[in-house]
Amino acid sequence: MKTPTMKRCSSILLVAGLLLALNPLQAESRVWTSADGRTLQAEFVGTAGAGASAVVKLKIADGTVIDYPVSKLSEQDRLFVKGNLPTDPAALAAEIDKLVLTKLKESYYGLRDELAALPAKADLTPDEKVKRKEEIEREMLMCVPNELTNDNQFLRRIYLDVAGRIPTYDEAEAFLNDRAPNKRAVLIDKLLDSEGFAMRMYNYFGDLLRVREGITMMGNGDLKVDPYMEWIKASMREDKPYDQMVRELLTAKGKIWEEPAVGYLVSDQGMRLCNLSNTFTIFMGTEITCAQCHDHPFEEVYQMDFFKMAAFMGEVETSARGGGNMMMMSGGADYRAEVDRMNKVLKDAGKLRPNQNEDQNLGQWIGTHRMQVVDSGNNAVKLPHDYHYDDGEPNAPVKPDTYFGEKMDLSKFETPREAFADWVVSPGNPRFTINAVNRFWKIAFGLAQVEPVYNIPGHLDGQAQNYELLSFLETMMKDLDYSVKDFFRVLYNSQTYQREAETLTPSLTQVDKGTYHFPGPVLRRMTAEQIWDSLVALTTADPESVTRKGWEDYKTIMNVDFSSLKTADDILKWKEDWSNASKLVKYNGDVVSREDNVGGAQMFRASELRQPMPSDHFLRMFGQSDKQLIENQFSTGSSPQVMALLNGEITNRVLTSPDAYLVKEIAFGKGSKRDNVDKIFLSVLSRYPTSQEKSMAQSGMRAKTDRDMNEQQKTQAEAMAIGNVIWALVNTREFLFIQ
Amino acid sequence: MKDALNRLDQLSRRQFVARAAKTALGVSILPIGAAKPLRAAGGGKAEHVIFFYMSGGMTHMETFDPKPGTETGGATKGIDTGVAGVQLAEFMPELAKRFKDIAVIRSMTQKTGDHRGGAYWMRTSYEPRATIIHPSMGPWAQTLLGKKHDTLPDSVVIGGGGEHPGAGFFGPALAPLPIGDPDKGVQNARPFEGVGEDLFDKRLDLMNTFDESFRRKFQTDEVKAYTQFYEETLKLMKSEDLETFDLMKEKDYDQKVQRYGNTRVGKGAMLAKRLVSSGVRFVEVVSGGWDMHNDLWSAMPQTGGQLDQALASLIDDLKADGLFEKTLICVGTEFGRTPVINVNGGRDHHPRVFSTMFAGGGISGGQVYGASDEKGIAVKENPVEAKDFNATIAYAMGLDLNKVIYAPSGRPFLVAGHTRDPKTDQIITEGHPIMPLFS
Repeated sequence: MKTPTMKRCSSILLVAGLLLALNPLQAESRVWTSADGRTLQAEFVGTAGAGASAVVKLKIADGTVIDYPVSKLSEQDRLFVKGNLPTDPAALAAEIDKLVLTKLKESYYGLRDELAALPAKADLTPDEKVKRKEEIEREMLMCVPNELTNDNQFLRRIYLDVAGRIPTYDEAEAFLNDRAPNKRAVLIDKLLDSEGFAMRMYNYFGDLLRVREGITMMGNGDLKVDPYMEWIKASMREDKPYDQMVRELLTAKGKIWEEPAVGYLVSDQGMRLCNLSNTFTIFMGTEITCAQCHDHPFEEVYQMDFFKMAAFMGEVETSARGGGNMMMMSGGADYRAEVDRMNKVLKDAGKLRPNQNEDQNLGQWIGTHRMQVVDSGNNAVKLPHDYHYDDGEPNAPVKPDTYFGEKMDLSKFETPREAFADWVVSPGNPRFTINAVNRFWKIAFGLAQVEPVYNIPGHLDGQAQNYELLSFLETMMKDLDYSVKDFFRVLYNSQTYQREAETLTPSLTQVDKGTYHFPGPVLRRMTAEQIWDSLVALTTADPESVTRKGWEDYKTIMNVDFSSLKTADDILKWKEDWSNASKLVKYNGDVVSREDNVGGAQMFRASELRQPMPSDHFLRMFGQSDKQLIENQFSTGSSPQVMALLNGEITNRVLTSPDAYLVKEIAFGKGSKRDNVDKIFLSVLSRYPTSQEKSMAQSGMRAKTDRDMNEQQKTQAEAMAIGNVIWALVNTREFLFIQ
Repeated sequence: MKDALNRLDQLSRRQFVARAAKTALGVSILPIGAAKPLRAAGGGKAEHVIFFYMSGGMTHMETFDPKPGTETGGATKGIDTGVAGVQLAEFMPELAKRFKDIAVIRSMTQKTGDHRGGAYWMRTSYEPRATIIHPSMGPWAQTLLGKKHDTLPDSVVIGGGGEHPGAGFFGPALAPLPIGDPDKGVQNARPFEGVGEDLFDKRLDLMNTFDESFRRKFQTDEVKAYTQFYEETLKLMKSEDLETFDLMKEKDYDQKVQRYGNTRVGKGAMLAKRLVSSGVRFVEVVSGGWDMHNDLWSAMPQTGGQLDQALASLIDDLKADGLFEKTLICVGTEFGRTPVINVNGGRDHHPRVFSTMFAGGGISGGQVYGASDEKGIAVKENPVEAKDFNATIAYAMGLDLNKVIYAPSGRPFLVAGHTRDPKTDQIITEGHPIMPLFS
C-alpha cells in the first residue's frame, strides 16, 4: 500500500536528515529537561511509537537506554527531537483511533459500574433512578464504536467535508469503480489539493472572521472585500501554516488591495475593544467580552487584564484621517485638490447633472484610500471613564501586558502588536493550538472535544473528558508545523472519522461535559454553503470553474495616477473600469453579470458569490451567516426552507427542467436510458437506489407516453418524470444530512 | 467577592453553556406554538404595532418640522394643521388634515450619521457592537409577552433589506418573517407554476419512499425536527393563514390600492393592516428613497406624497374597523438631513436633530413633543433618543421596561437599552417613554 505523503513534513525530515549527517544527534550528550523542570544528562538514541505513546530513547551515563515519553519533555526538547517523530498520517490516525477506543471502553465500563450501583444509591428518588438508568443505557449505546462506512457513505461525506459539496456523477463513478485498496487515502489527498478545499475552508473562515462586502461592520460600500477573500483562499490553497496566517492577520498594515490581511482589523474599525474580544474568541477560544465592562464573573479575568491586553493593539489605527503622508498620492499631489480639479473637468464637460457639482465616485475614492491600517505610535487605549476597581484610575493610560502565557519584552519588537501576535501564536500559548485543533476537529466530526468552542475553560484537564486525545492533537498540530492540510489529512484517514455517523443525538449533558466520545462522527445537517454548493454540483460538470476574480483589477484602479486622467472621457473610462471591477465575478477574464445564470439562479459556489447573500436568498434561508458575528451561521430548520425546497425555482426549474444539466447531460447523456434512475440517485445521494426505490421511481413516476407520441414527445415526458425523481431526492432528509 | 460571584453564577453559567450547546447542535428550534405570556401586560393599549421605517434618513424639514421662510428652510412651504401655531410641511397634506390623530416628535437625536449604524440604533436601542446582535422590537415583544397567535408569526418585516437585526441573540426562531413584495406575499408558499395538486402529491409520495430508510435509521432530534417542519409547512400551504399574506384576497383590492397608492409603501401599509387584523403583533414596513443628497425638491413630492397617502388611508381604515385604539402606528428613520443645502441641491446626513411620528395605540393626537432650533440644526428642548423612542413603543405595548433578559453569552439586556444604577449597581432601563404622548 502506498503511504500518503506529507509534503511539508518530508521537507522537514530532509532538513533534519541533513543536520543529522553533519552533526549526528546520536552522538550528542546534552541536558534534557522535562515539562515539569527536571533535568537529565543523556545521549539521544532515537524515537519509537507515535503520537501520545511516542518515546524518546535516551542513553544515560551508565550506558542503559531508557524510554522517556516525548509528551513529557519540555517544549524546547520536544522541538529538538521533532524531526525524528513519525509523521505518517496513517500512523498518527491510528494513534487517534487508539485514544478514542480506549476512552470509549473506559466510559463503557464506568457507566456499567454506575448502572450496577444505581439501585443502592440512597440520594436518588425512584423516579430519578429510572431517569438516570435511561440516560446511562443511552450513553452506553454511544460507547460502542459504529461500523465503518461503506464506500458510498465515505465518498459523500469526504467530498462534503473536504471539498464542501457532494461528488458529481463522474467523480462518484470514478471512486466507486476504483479497485485500489488505498483509494480512500488517495481521494483524501486529491480533495485536499483541490480548489474545492480552498472554497470550503474559505466558507469556514468567512463565518469565523466575518468576511463581508464592504468589510467594516456597517459596510463601507467602496471597500472591496475581494483581495481579503482571495488571501484566505490562497492561504488554504497553498497550505500556509496556520500560525503564520494568524500572525499576518494581526500584524498586516497598509491598504486592503496591497496587504489583504488588513481585512481582519478593518472589519472591526472603530471598535478596538470588540476586536480584542474577537481575537480571543476566534484564535484562543476564550470569551473575555465580559471583562470589557467588569471583572469576568466566571473566570479569573479582571477588567484590568482586558485593558492591558487591549493596550497591545492600542497603536493600531484602521482609518487614516486628516492630512499627513497617508493622504498624499505617490506623486505628491493632495487627493482633495486632484478631486476638485476632476469635478471641474466633469462639470465643464456637462457630465454632471444641472444641480450637481461633485461626482460621488471621486469622493468615495478618497474615502477608500483612507481605509488603511497604520501604527500611529500613540497608544489610544485608556481605562474606561467609569473604571471603579482599586488598581487603576478612570481614563488612565494602560501599559500592554499579558495575563496568562508568556510575559513579553516589548523592547524586542518594532510595535507592541508585533509582540502581541508573537504571544498569540507562540507554542507556549496554552490556548492557541488547543483552540485550533478543537475547532478543526469540529469541522470533521460535527462536534468539538470542548464545547462551546468559543469558551474553552481555563483548566482544561478537568473539563475535556478526553484530555489525552486533545493534547495529542495539540502536539500533533505543532509537529505538523501547523499545516492545516496535513492536520485534516490525519483526521480524515482515521477510522474514527471513517465510521458511520452516530444515530443518536448526544445529550446536552454529554455536549456540555464533553462525554460524547466519538463512536463515529455526529450526524449533521449540511451547512448552508454545503447545500448550495451541492446544488451547484448538480448543475455543472465542473462546480469550481467560476471564480471571483474582481480583485485582480482592483489594485490597478485604486492606484491610478489621477494626473493621467486629464479629460472628462479619461475620468469616465476610469469610473467605468471601477464599476466593472465591482461586479461580482470574472470568469475567464470576462465580467459575469448578475444576469448570467442557470434557469434564473446564479449557480456558482457560495464562496464566489456576494458575502453574505441578501437575506431572502436560499443560502441565508438555510443559515448562511450574516457575517455580523463570529460563527453566526445556523443549521436549524424553518418553514421558509421547506417551502423553498418544495416550491422554489431551484428544485422546480434549475434542477428538473428538461434542459437541466442532470436531466439532459446525466440522465440522457450518459449510457443507457434504462439506468436513468440509477444515474440520478448516484448524482443526488451518491448511492444507487434499492430495487424497491427503483421500481417505485419507474412505475410510480412512469412517463405518460402513448403510442401516438413521437420520439421527441416521449423524451419530453421521460424528462418530466426524471425531474420528479430529482425533486423528490433533493427533498429527502438523506440529501440534507451528512451521514 | 470574586468567589462569591463565581458561586452565584454557577447556575447561569450552566444555563448559558447548555443553551450554547443547543445552538451548536441545532436541536432547539422546533416549531413553537403559542406560549403563555411571561407576565400580564402592564397598561399598554397597543396590541399591535405598525412601524414605518423610512430608510435613508427622512428629511425632517420637508415632513414634520418645516421651517418656511428661513435661510435653511429651502423652498418648502408649511401647511396648517388646525392646531394653532403648528404646521407640517406641504408634502404632508393628508396627515395635516388628520393632525388631531397624530403626535409628532421634533427633537429626535442620534449619535451616528452612518445609515446602517443609525438604523441599527433605531431598531434596537443599542449601539452596534461586533460581539452581539441586539434584537429588534417585534422579537422583544414576543419574548416579553409570549406568542400572540397560534400559527401566524409574531413579527413581519415588509420590504426590508438584508440589514435588519431581526431577532438578534434571541435566535432565528423568533426572527420576523420577511416579505419582499407585498403583492407576492410569502415567498414560495404555493406550488410552483405548472405543478398541479396530483403531481405535487405524487412527488411527496416519492420523497417519503426514498427517505424512509434514512429516517428509520437516524432518529435524531434534528432529523425529526425537519420532518416536522415538512408536515407543518404542508399544513400551512393548505391553511387559511396563508391567505392572510395574500393581498390579492383583500376585499375591494383595486379601490384600496387607489386610496393607499400603488406604491411599495402604500401596498405595504395595506398588507400591514391585513396582517394586524388577523392577529400579527408587530409589522414593520420599510420604505426607501429618503437619502436625498441630490435634487431633494424633485424627489419630495413623490417620496413624501406616497408616505402621506399611505399613512392617512391606514389611519382611516383602522378607525373604521375599530382597530385604531389598539394599533400603534409609528414612523422612524435613522437620522434627519442637513439644514444647509449642499452643492448638489440636496441635504446630507444630519443625526443631531430629526423628526418621528406616532398615532393610535393609546397616543393622544394633535400634539408636538420637543422642538428643534430655528434653523433645524439642533435640539432646542426635550431631546429624544432611539432608546426613548423604543421605550415609548414598549410602554404603549405594555412591555416591562425593566425586565432583564440574558443573551446566550450571559450578557444582560433590556428592551429599551440599559445602564447601571450608580448607587445600587443594578441594571436598569436607559430609555424612557415619552409620557406626555399618553395623557
